[in-house]
Amino acid sequence: MKFRCERDLLLGVLSTAGRAVTGRGGALPVLSGVRLEANDNQLVATGSDLDLTIRSTIDVAVETAGATVVPARLISEIVRSLDVGAVEIEVTGDEARVTSGRSQFAVRTLPIDDFPRLDPPAGEQVSVPADDLAAGLKQVVLAASSDDARPILTGVLMTAEEGGLRLVATDSYRLAVRDLPDATVLGEGQKVLVPSRALGELIRVLGSAKEVHVRLGERDVTFDVAPEDGAKVQLTTRLIEGEFPNYRQLIPASYPNELTVGRETFLDAVRRVKLMAREATPLRLTLSEDSLELMAVTQDVGEAHEQLDASYSGAELTIAFNPDYLIAGIEAASGDEVTLQTLDALKPAVLRTSEGPDYLYLLMPVRVS
Amino acid sequence: MRLVIARCTVDYDGRLQAHLPEATRLIMVKADGCVAIHADGGAYKPLNWMNAPNRLVIDDEGWVVTSPKGESLRITIHEVFSDVEHELGVDPGLQKDGVEAHLQELLARDMATLGQGWTLVRREYPTDIGPVDLMCRDDEGGAVAVEIKRRGEIDGVEQLTRYLDRLDRDGNLRPVSGVFAAQEIRPQARVLAESRGIRCVTLDYDALRGIEPNEMTLF
Repeated sequence: MKFRCERDLLLGVLSTAGRAVTGRGGALPVLSGVRLEANDNQLVATGSDLDLTIRSTIDVAVETAGATVVPARLISEIVRSLDVGAVEIEVTGDEARVTSGRSQFAVRTLPIDDFPRLDPPAGEQVSVPADDLAAGLKQVVLAASSDDARPILTGVLMTAEEGGLRLVATDSYRLAVRDLPDATVLGEGQKVLVPSRALGELIRVLGSAKEVHVRLGERDVTFDVAPEDGAKVQLTTRLIEGEFPNYRQLIPASYPNELTVGRETFLDAVRRVKLMAREATPLRLTLSEDSLELMAVTQDVGEAHEQLDASYSGAELTIAFNPDYLIAGIEAASGDEVTLQTLDALKPAVLRTSEGPDYLYLLMPVRVS
Repeated sequence: MRLVIARCTVDYDGRLQAHLPEATRLIMVKADGCVAIHADGGAYKPLNWMNAPNRLVIDDEGWVVTSPKGESLRITIHEVFSDVEHELGVDPGLQKDGVEAHLQELLARDMATLGQGWTLVRREYPTDIGPVDLMCRDDEGGAVAVEIKRRGEIDGVEQLTRYLDRLDRDGNLRPVSGVFAAQEIRPQARVLAESRGIRCVTLDYDALRGIEPNEMTLF
């Protein structure tokens, strides 16, 4: 195998594919490598940890077609270290020779026969506007759990909802729901649970793409992205099996208490007051007529108070939240204003945006004395 | 256990040579023959020590500890401030919070954690290659072998697979299904278990003990 390509393009595909590569290779050392296949003047770089597979394709000048597996991190570091310009990679036997200008590296390859054979994606292809999907995913992925002890919660539920697509994620402390009315990905009543890690990677590669093509298989889902100014990327992830918690029962039809406040003003104030919410101390919100008071007290450190103008209807109430979760919800909401709806100080509160009913962030309060 | 607080000088000769100048220290002589010299600081680690087996000879000039490996530790005693000896007896060993035995006991008491209508047949159910942690019957009367770990690794799945293979030979039990229960299950172990039809259950130690978490959750 021998091909030639610009350094920045090569680094791009290696980095993208490398994000699916496991750190240590685990039981299958070849998975610490990235598979390179040069053919028909195209280079396909593939990284996989068996759960997530990322395949990135660019045009290159192929002199001799072939395939190899090279250590992912090492090859990226080598290419990154080179000067801008053409890079040539030639594989002979079990050695890949990387040449650029006067620099030359010889890298021992990994056994290509050990690299898992990845089946072509199955399922019917549907297209979704990439910017809508990226915006929706950014609003929900943050609420997914990173704790492998509860694998169901590490996924984002994708479900058909009134002809569109609903995205739901929760870590049991907060829950984010986003509706994409114009995205028809799933059939009526269909739902899948997609690992949030894979969707985080998808957000990264969506970039300037206009559309993302989705193919839903029996056990996996594939996203094909072709940004106008970059490499084509195909991301395949195994679906999570299991029943997502029944989140609908947590969202009452109406709330007696409702606060509306400027989003940026609220966000800035929460960030300021959070400075005094140390050692897992919650941030308290006192909701009263046309006013919102934020307070944080950390024993032996100090306290912070801030009052904001707000529109409020309901009974005077003090409710406390984990400040990081509250900030994440306000950040994810778009629009000039946000609305915080509560039942009481111990029941989940709902944060909505003034821009419409498509986004909802449910947040569990923290019990305070 | 003999504890001596004394002003002493210590010279070690073995893998290297080391000298502790005259100072007040704690000299600890354990029943198994270990000798350790501690300063008043440095957590658990002695300044110098000799692991058992040792030979301790006390003469006019001080103590000489020698090991079969040819190491020697000479402790020159200048002044003794305290010298006490106490019989500690046999130590029961370190019991870490959440050890498998306790998880097994808690789970045996609350079979609903594994499934509604499940009943316990026996803890430590014997097989010819060792006992499986729990033998249960599910709500349909099917036999289920449960292996319990603090950390669920591939080794544990292999162990349960071996038990299932043996238990399945018993016509009174067959077919026997498996549950791999742990406080934390490694992803690779989960994949392996599920590929063999073994169900994985993550155990919440606090919940099993009836301890409510401080943080409220949505569900």
